[in-house]
Parts: sequence; structure tokens; C-alpha cells
Amino acid sequence: MLSFIIRRLLLIVPMALIVITLTWGLIRIAPGNFYSAEKRLPAAVEENIRKKYGLDKPWYQQYGMMMWNIVRLDFGDSLKYEGQSVNEILRRHFPYSATIGLLAYGLALIVGLSAGIIASLKQNSIFDYASMSFAMLGLSVPSFVLGPILAMIFSLWLFWLPPARWSLTGLVLPVITLAALYAAYIARLTRAGMLEVMRSDYIRTARAKGLDEKTVLLRHAIRGGLIPVVSFTGPALAALLAGTIVVEKIFAIPGLGNIFIQSVFNRDEPLTLGIVAFLSIMIMLFNLVVDISYGFLDPRIRYE
Amino acid sequence: MKLISLRSARIAVYLVSLFLVGCSVSGESKYFGSSKPHGDNVLRYISGSEPATLDPHVSGGQPEARIYASLYEGLVEVHPKTLQPIPALAKSWEVSPKVDEFIFHLRNNGKFSDGTPITARDFEYSFRRAFDPELTSQTVQLGYFVKYAEAYNGNQLFVERDGKFVTENDVADEAVPAETRPPFGPETEFHKYIQSPTRLTLPEAPLKRAQAIEGNPKLKAIFAVRPSDLKDALSFIRKIRTATDPLSKNLAATIPPDALSCLENCSDAAKQSLAEALNKALDSGSFFAQDWFASLSLPKDAKALGDAIVAENKKRADANNAIDLEIAKLSDPAKIAEQEKSKKKPLGKFFYANRFLLEQMFPDELSPVSLVPIEPKDLGVEAIDDNTFRITLRQSAPFFLGLLTHQLFRVVPQQAIEKYGKHWTRPENIVTSGPFKLKEYHPYDRLVVERDPNYWDAANVHLDGIAFFAVEEQATTLNLYKSGAVDAIQNHAVPAPWIEKIAAYNDEYLNFPESATAYYSFNVRKPPFDNPKLRRAFSLGIDRVALAKFRKITKPLYSITPSGIFPEYDKAMAKVGEEIRKERGIPTEDWDKYRRQFDPAAARKILGELGFPVQENGGNFECPSFPTDRIALTFNTTESNRQIAEFIQAQWRQNLGITVPLKNQEFKTFLADRNAMRYDGLAQSLWSGDYMDPYTFLSLQYGEVNDGGAGFHDPRFDKMLDDANYELDPQKRFEMMARAEYYLLEQLPSIPLTINATNWLKKPWIKGFYPNPGTLFPWKFVYIERDPAKWDTDVEGIMDRDDPQVVEQLKQLESTVGGQ
Repeated sequence: MLSFIIRRLLLIVPMALIVITLTWGLIRIAPGNFYSAEKRLPAAVEENIRKKYGLDKPWYQQYGMMMWNIVRLDFGDSLKYEGQSVNEILRRHFPYSATIGLLAYGLALIVGLSAGIIASLKQNSIFDYASMSFAMLGLSVPSFVLGPILAMIFSLWLFWLPPARWSLTGLVLPVITLAALYAAYIARLTRAGMLEVMRSDYIRTARAKGLDEKTVLLRHAIRGGLIPVVSFTGPALAALLAGTIVVEKIFAIPGLGNIFIQSVFNRDEPLTLGIVAFLSIMIMLFNLVVDISYGFLDPRIRYE
Repeated sequence: MKLISLRSARIAVYLVSLFLVGCSVSGESKYFGSSKPHGDNVLRYISGSEPATLDPHVSGGQPEARIYASLYEGLVEVHPKTLQPIPALAKSWEVSPKVDEFIFHLRNNGKFSDGTPITARDFEYSFRRAFDPELTSQTVQLGYFVKYAEAYNGNQLFVERDGKFVTENDVADEAVPAETRPPFGPETEFHKYIQSPTRLTLPEAPLKRAQAIEGNPKLKAIFAVRPSDLKDALSFIRKIRTATDPLSKNLAATIPPDALSCLENCSDAAKQSLAEALNKALDSGSFFAQDWFASLSLPKDAKALGDAIVAENKKRADANNAIDLEIAKLSDPAKIAEQEKSKKKPLGKFFYANRFLLEQMFPDELSPVSLVPIEPKDLGVEAIDDNTFRITLRQSAPFFLGLLTHQLFRVVPQQAIEKYGKHWTRPENIVTSGPFKLKEYHPYDRLVVERDPNYWDAANVHLDGIAFFAVEEQATTLNLYKSGAVDAIQNHAVPAPWIEKIAAYNDEYLNFPESATAYYSFNVRKPPFDNPKLRRAFSLGIDRVALAKFRKITKPLYSITPSGIFPEYDKAMAKVGEEIRKERGIPTEDWDKYRRQFDPAAARKILGELGFPVQENGGNFECPSFPTDRIALTFNTTESNRQIAEFIQAQWRQNLGITVPLKNQEFKTFLADRNAMRYDGLAQSLWSGDYMDPYTFLSLQYGEVNDGGAGFHDPRFDKMLDDANYELDPQKRFEMMARAEYYLLEQLPSIPLTINATNWLKKPWIKGFYPNPGTLFPWKFVYIERDPAKWDTDVEGIMDRDDPQVVEQLKQLESTVGGQ
């Protein structure tokens, strides 16, 4: 088990470097510069800029400098936002995305798991049909449709909640918008997983041994039934924490997802690389956590 | 998991927004959404994208400009309606007769937000800083009119020879006779210097310097080796006679022996003959091109120059090879000759490069021509005393005063910048000079400013503060506006599908012409659009009135300069147009048609004359011989750009029978291609004026390198504009510029399409806030009206109505300007 974790942790380093190198290459291939705009700069100014940011050096030197910075976990200064370091931008804006992400994750888990479990226990009941229809709706209505509709109803008609921007009440709509899709997915996965487990031999054995239904469900069935859910929610949590571009745009949330997209359009290389490095490492760590948690949920899984 | 194409996403957003509008407009309310002002005296404004920096000298963006206008002040500020300069930190000013010098009289009560007084020295510092090459300001070229600003910003060097600076006159083909200028302000040492004949400036990079010198014989003579340059002739002679490196050997072989004859105590005559022989050797060919050059061990700078020459020659050879390949495909001898002409010769003889090499190789023997870096103190700005500031330009620039309202010329705090370096704009360090100071800043969310009690005119700042929100999404922007969370939104914020509904709120919707134009530029360097007649045919094939109707908010554009923005210039255009019409004897009717640039029949006729006959086929036109595979209409990807492109494509298909292929590109990719002229046919362009003078539009096609995007350059047009700018009578100047514009309209490097509209909303209780052509606001005029009876109504007429409070405030401000 320990060697498995160490091996996986060590693997993260080369993986992250490959991701960063590829991203760097892609940025370099893209035409245009952080300073290119409708109004062209005089050649002398362009030269000064290139000198100031080391863009006049050969590419391998630039690559080396970039890698050296990243190894030291210092991503340098943003090119677009004069005088702001990438590290401080990450520190400042990740909490926004993480707050919304965690709240949405929690909401999705609570709603999704309970709806899925109840639906599986009362298969083919009204509740089952109703919750699964809702789940279907949640899956098929994308957030850029759901978000504006929620904003219209709760902000522009009822005046209950602000239509956008960061505030305590302003969190409600983006969290619901974000959670809807995940809750629907989790509900369907839970229901399917539970139905399968409830029909399996070891549950029948447990029941045959005379265990009461509560124990069967909570001690035996849920652990097995949730494996598909766990393998979905691990990466889902990473994705939610990373910030979601659409929801952040619609609700004007100053999160990382929005900034990430802008950094690509701005050709703000250090910022893009910093966010990519940060997110890719986070996603790899979450996947590791998911893999480890399988062992606790299902005694059949072994780490070799 | 989610793989929905951007296009379908966009369509969905439109459908949803249409649905929203449909639902929401059904109410009876006179107002769009909330009609309750906030209790506090703070304006809430959506300013668009997140500001790149709070340093006004660095960023040239418009969202930034609006924030800077609250935080920083300059010598002059914009008039809330006309954008003409009004007094700010300068209470009055004088303009020299040639309009190339300005003296500003500063207020003695100007203060930074930390209480430090603002004096002329702060302006001197601010101007010098703006041009600092290391600041890398992205808007600095606006200030290049200041004498030596461009040279300083471009790291150029003065040339000193025999203790005197070489002037531009010294190397000009025709020397401009010295003129006696009437005195303008106090005569100081600095003023004598800045008014002395303009010094020559040369590029810092040795290769560029060498190219500049090679192209001008008079300049080359200045760089010739003089006997006085030979610090130690004897040592030089000894070295090249005895050294074994190939350069010395080569020199020893090329220089006649009698020039190398002096063996001790060289006489002046011997030095003279050595200098002459050296000049001959230097001019005989490039040392850098010799076989032995690679074997030299070179000092760093000489090696860099050698590498640069090799790289440049390789670049030229590659370009020539590409041309050869192109020629191989051609058969028409005229076209082949044209291609041959565009080939570039390799860098050949290089007198200065050779001399530079010698200077580097023999540092103790041959002294270099003294090249003096331009320093901040050399710029044409001078604090005569604490309250008097003088600016000297390199040329007459009647529009310069209007330019001074730009953020590049606003005053910044030397004390904070020197203390905190690049971190001076952080909330804990920032010191500002405007009516407001920074209160809180949450990037990507909001930036809040509050009235600065230290501001000299704080009593006349009506708002307690302004909250700028960084929101870009149009639907989100409108939701925030409708819910009452914000009082006003940035320009261009209302999306096309909403406009018709929102325009009905005529107490709030502001639709006025902007000082910005949309046009398609032709690639005039590539056939088929290298022919102005064909360009004209394509322009005549577009119904601009229909386009403007289709776009709902724009006005048709028939010229280079947008009409309705510069009223005096519009009059000049009409007057000159009438003159031209009479000169050519064109009937009024035809002239109108000519000016309106829509005449499909004439367009088809031109196409026929050019060998692309248009046939009529059952009401449809066809032009099969036109090479549509060689052209495209390139635009950067946005929904509105696509709609315009498709509309115009349809117009040409309908009117000319030509279907131009469309090509869209991501914005920065598009810019890179367009600026390098890597497009076929046409490319979309948008230009917003930098200052309130038609020159900001006409200069788009001025000079060899310009922002017009067409690759157009016409010395005749340049001369017409130059002449106009030397004209001191404003009316006459406009007429001369109008002539230049009519000339440009004949050349037609671009198709004018539409004039931008302001297209934004404000709540009726926000007053003193006008939809001016630049969407730039002098915030101290803005106030919140609590009495609903006095709210703005029917804002269509807002620009023609006078607000007594604003008029009074303006009168008070302008009272200090005497006799202007």
C-alpha cells in the first residue's frame, strides 16, 4: 500500500512536467503575443518588451528558465497584469472557485446519493420515476441554460437573490447551477450501483444470515454500491474545485476558471502555465485519493 | 463529458436571452428593471474587462482609461460632452504660433492623495517616465510628438563629432534654413538647447545603425575615419604589421605601404594618409563576408553584429528563394519583373560595420565616433518653475492639446514609484492625483474609489465614490443592470438580439455615434486588389444603409473619418466636396451617388472593364471569371463579425455575382496575420479614435508602416497630411485634410462600412454622465439626482440639452482660461 502511494506520487512529477511542456509548446505555436492588439506597437517598443521579458532569448533558454521557475514553484509575474505574480493570482482566486466547487460538491452528493439510494430501494415507484426524470433533466440541461433561467426567476422576477457577483446570497444560484449536473449523475450512478449490489450473492448471504435490512444496507450494500460513484466523484471534485468557466462567467465569479480562459486569450504565458501546473497536479492527487479509497470500500481490491 | 460545440452553445445563449427579454419586457414599467436608486452617494458602473494595471502610463485600454480618469488627472481633462480639452491641473495655457510649443500654468493647490503638492516638476517626471524604454508602455507612441520622445523611447543615440552634436540638417539632402523664432516664454538654458536645430539620432543596434549610415552619403562622411580618431597611429601600424590574425593581415595587404610607413612619432600628414587609406579599405567590401571572418576571435559586440548580418542575409536569401519559387509558377513577363523587383540584395558593402569591427578590435588605437545615449533630461519637457510647464514638440501638431487628456499624460507620484518600484500600484502603496482615490480593489470583481479630500477641486466632486465592476458577459451585465445592482454599464454592452426591446426604454438607452469605425481593408500589395478600380467596384457593391439597418445600432460610413463626431471637419468635407464636384463638373445627383458609394450597376461596369464580365441570368448576376479562389474575407471570430461578413458576402453575391469565401480566426492569430499582410483579399478592421481630431483616422494610412491593415503607402497622401498639419489656421487645415481624405477615397485602401454606436444604458437618476463619442468620463461632473421629477427623460436629446449644474461647473473651470 505504502509503496503504491509512493510510486504514484513519484509518477506525478514526470507527468506534470510533460503536461507543462506540452502546454508551453502549444502556447508558443499560437500566433500573436500578450502585447498584440488592434493598435500596433512601434518596432522599438516591441523590442523593449521582448528584452524586458526575455523573449529575445533562444527558445531553449526560455524553456529552461520557465522549467527552473516551475521546479522552484515560482511561476513568475503575469505578463498581462503588470506587477502581479502568478502565485498571488492563484492564491487569491483559487478560494473563490474552491468555495463554490466544494459547496456544489456537497450539495450534489447529498441530493444525488439520497435520491439514488431511495430510488433504488423503491424501484419502479413514483419516487423512482420522478427522481430519475429530474436527473435526466439535470443531465441534459447545460449550465449555460440553467444559470440564466435561475437568474431570471430568482433575481429578475422574484428579486430574492442577486443575479451575479460574489456575495453570500450570490453563492446560491451558481452553486445550484453547478450542482445540478453532478447531482443528476450521482443519483443515476448510485441507483444503478445499488440495484446491482442488492441482487448480488453476498447481500443474499447477509440476508440469509438473518441480518436486519438496515445493517445489510448500511454495512454491506452501500460500500459496494458506491464504487462507481466514487470513481466519478473523485475527478468531479477536482473539476469542481478548478473552477468552471461557464458558471463563473454567467455569475461573474472571480474564480480560477474564468481567469484561466482569459489568460489563454491574453497569451499570458506564465499565468496559463501556472494554472495548468496547479490544476494538473491537483487532479492527479485526487485520482490517487480515489484509487486509495477503493481499497476501503471494496475488500476485493488489492494494491500491488 | 460535455462536448457541446461553441456554436450551438452560442445559439442556445441567444435563444435563452431572447426568451428572457420576451418574458421581461411584458411589464408595464417605464424603466428597464429596478427604478430605485441606492441609498448611498456611490455610482455603480460596469466597466468591462479586468484592468491590466492601475499604472496609467502602461496600459492603453479603454476600460482602464475610464478607471484612470477617476484616479489620475493631467494638465487637461475632457469636456463631458465634446471631449475637447478643459482645464484640469493646468488652469490655463499658451500655444506657440507654430503650434509646436505649449506653456501650461499650473494651479498652486494641486495635491496627490498623500497630500504632496503637485508641481511642474511632477509633470516633468511623469512625461519622462512615460517614455522610459524600460517601462514598456503600450500606448507610448501617442506621445512621440514630444521632441526626442520617440528617439529616447527607442533607445536611439545622438552623434557627437568634434565636440558638437550632428544635426539632422547636417545630413539632409537639402538643409532647412534656420529660422528666427519669436520668443515663447522665458528663455532658459534648456529652451536654447531644445530649440537648437534637431539633433540626428541613430538606432542603438549596430546593424540598424550601419544600414542607416550606408544609405546616406553625408552621414557616411561623418563616420569616416579622421586623423583625430587615430589615438595611437603608431601602435596601430605596428599591430597590423606584426599580428597574424587574418584581419590585420588583410589590412596590411590592402593599405598601401606608404600609408603604413611611419615608424615613430607619426606626423599629422602620416596620420592623414593612414586615415584616407583606412577609409578606402573600409569601403572596399564587407569584412564580415570574408572567408577568414569566422576565424577571428571577436569581442562580444562585434560578434553580435556579425551574427546579425549573417542572420539578415540568410533571411533575405530565404525570401528571395520563396520569390523564385513564385516566379517559376508565373508566365506573364510583367508579373515576373514585378516579383524580381521585390527581391532584396544581400547586405553588401558595409562601411560602418567594418569601422565598428575595427573599433572593437583596436580599442586602444582607434577611438569610436562618440554616440551619446538620449537621456530623460533631453526630452522636450521643462518645468520652468513650480507652476509653469513647457512642452516642445518635434513638429506642429494642432491636435496635441486634445491628446494631453490621454492617460499617458496624467501625473503620477514620483515619491511612491521610487519607493515601491513595480508594486507602487498595490492598494497599500498607491498614491493618486485624481478626484478619487482607491478604496478597495478585488481583482476580477470590483474596484472601489472614494472622493479624495486632497483633490484641489474636491468641493465640486459630487459622488462619494464609484464602484467599477469587472464584468464582460453581456447577459450578466444586463441582468445586473436590470436588478438594480448597477447604475450604468459600459459601451457596446447590449447584445444585438436585445436591442430592439431595450431601445424602447428611451429614458435609459444611449445610442450615439462613437469615434470609431468598422471597415474592411484590402491587401493592396497582392493582386487582384492592387488595382484601385477593382477596390472601388467592391465598395460600390455594398448597400451600407441596409447594413446599418441590419446591425440596428450603427450608422453607415461613407468615408475614412466618421461623420457626426467632428462637426467642423464635417463642414470642411462638405465644402471641399462641393469644390471637387465643380472642378470635375459632376452633376449633384451623380456626386451624391459617388459619395454614398452604392451603385451596383456602376460596379458591374467596372468589373466588366477589368476583364471580369458580369452576366445576368434570370435576375441573378454571375461573374464566373473572377478569381474567388485567390481572395477571402478574413475576420476574427465573434458572432457579430460573422453576421456582418455574411451580410456583405450576400450583398456582393447579389449585386456583383461574386461569392467571396469567408475565413474566421481567433483574435490574436488574426492580428498577427493581418499585421504581417498574410491575408488574401480583405480583412476586417476596427479603429477607435485616440484623440478628438480627424487625424487620428486619416493617419491610419499614413507612412510606410501604419495601422490601416491594407499595406497601403502613398507618398502623395502623406505629403497632403503633412502640409495640412503645418497649416496653422484650423479651418484651412481641416479643408486640406478633407482634400487628402477625398484623395484617399479614390485610392480606397479600405471599404468604409459603419460608424460604431455607444450602445449602453444608464439609470435616469445618474446625471452629468453623457454618451460622448469616446465613452470617456470626467467623473467629477457625474451626480445622483434624488428627485424623480428631475431625472433624465428621453435621452435621445441628452447631448443637446444643458444641465444647469454641469454648465455652471464647466463655466467655473473654464473661467481661468484667458482669451483662448
